[in-house]
Amino acid sequence: MAMNGKTEENLKDLFEKFLNPERVEQAVEDIQRGERILRSHTAPEPDAELIANIKAETAASLLRKKENAFRRMVYKTVAVAAGFILLVAIGVELFEKGRGEPERVATGSITSKAVWESDRLADDNADLATLIAEIEQIESDLLAVQLGENGGNGPEAVTELEMELIEINGDFWKG
Amino acid sequence: MAKSNDLARIITGCKSGDAECFSQVVDMYASRFYGYFYRLTGNREVSDDLLSELFVKLVEKISSFKGGSFESWLFKIASNIFHDYLRDKQRQRKLLEVQKGELESEITEAKQSSNERFDKLQTQLGRLDANTRELIMLRFYSQASFKEIAAMRSEPIGTTLSKLHRGLKKLQKLME
Repeated sequence: MAMNGKTEENLKDLFEKFLNPERVEQAVEDIQRGERILRSHTAPEPDAELIANIKAETAASLLRKKENAFRRMVYKTVAVAAGFILLVAIGVELFEKGRGEPERVATGSITSKAVWESDRLADDNADLATLIAEIEQIESDLLAVQLGENGGNGPEAVTELEMELIEINGDFWKG
Repeated sequence: MAKSNDLARIITGCKSGDAECFSQVVDMYASRFYGYFYRLTGNREVSDDLLSELFVKLVEKISSFKGGSFESWLFKIASNIFHDYLRDKQRQRKLLEVQKGELESEITEAKQSSNERFDKLQTQLGRLDANTRELIMLRFYSQASFKEIAAMRSEPIGTTLSKLHRGLKKLQKLME
């Protein structure tokens, strides 16, 4: 095996950077002589059997490498898929929690609960008519008292009527 | 030796896992690296193992080759394999020294069985220190420039140049 020009290039220039000029020639000559000795003694060559074994071994090693790479790819894919599924599951869980219970809206009604819940439409109408009539009667009595037309019982009569009105109103809302 | 375009194509093939391209790399470099390992170890069996290990390592590490001189890169791996071998050998030697009494006869037998006929160069190389011997072989078999060798060995180029000069001069004297 001979050294090529690449390794011999600039040998003199190289030595000039590190040695005195008078020693450069000798150094280059020492190296060239040493290399000639190496070239004249060839090392043994590898057996053909060894080369065949090495080729078989590299092919087997290559196969193992490919199998490992494939296995790693499968593991990675499975890990990524598992991670994705986990994220989706957590996301769904959080979404469901975020929605919570349906909000209760507080509502009120001016109509009696008993009237809404009752199935007896005719009876309910009659009750309502009675109540309305009573309220109207009390209202007219109250007006007469306020105008002094009821014989002069004064503020007591007004208070009495107001109490009666409140009672009727309470009964109506109770149903 | 393949042209640089061919080599680039082969390396690309190796990177994509083409067994045929690895086979071509083995054909291209087996002889040089076998010589390198043999001159460093002086043992054919060990050289066989180290050469096999080199190409298996090549399969493992080819994806980390990012360009530059492929040969320098491969020689760096070879050098690391050789150093691992040396460390392992030193560990074994220490272990054997501890058990010397029991194993003395076995060591003698092993030495005799592994005794090979060395050429004169191999014998004289054995007289150089391991570091100088490795530097001379790296320079000779890698065909790398001093700059590349200095980079491989992580030392200044002046140091590499000086060590190689002294080493070759000494070898020359030993061979006379």
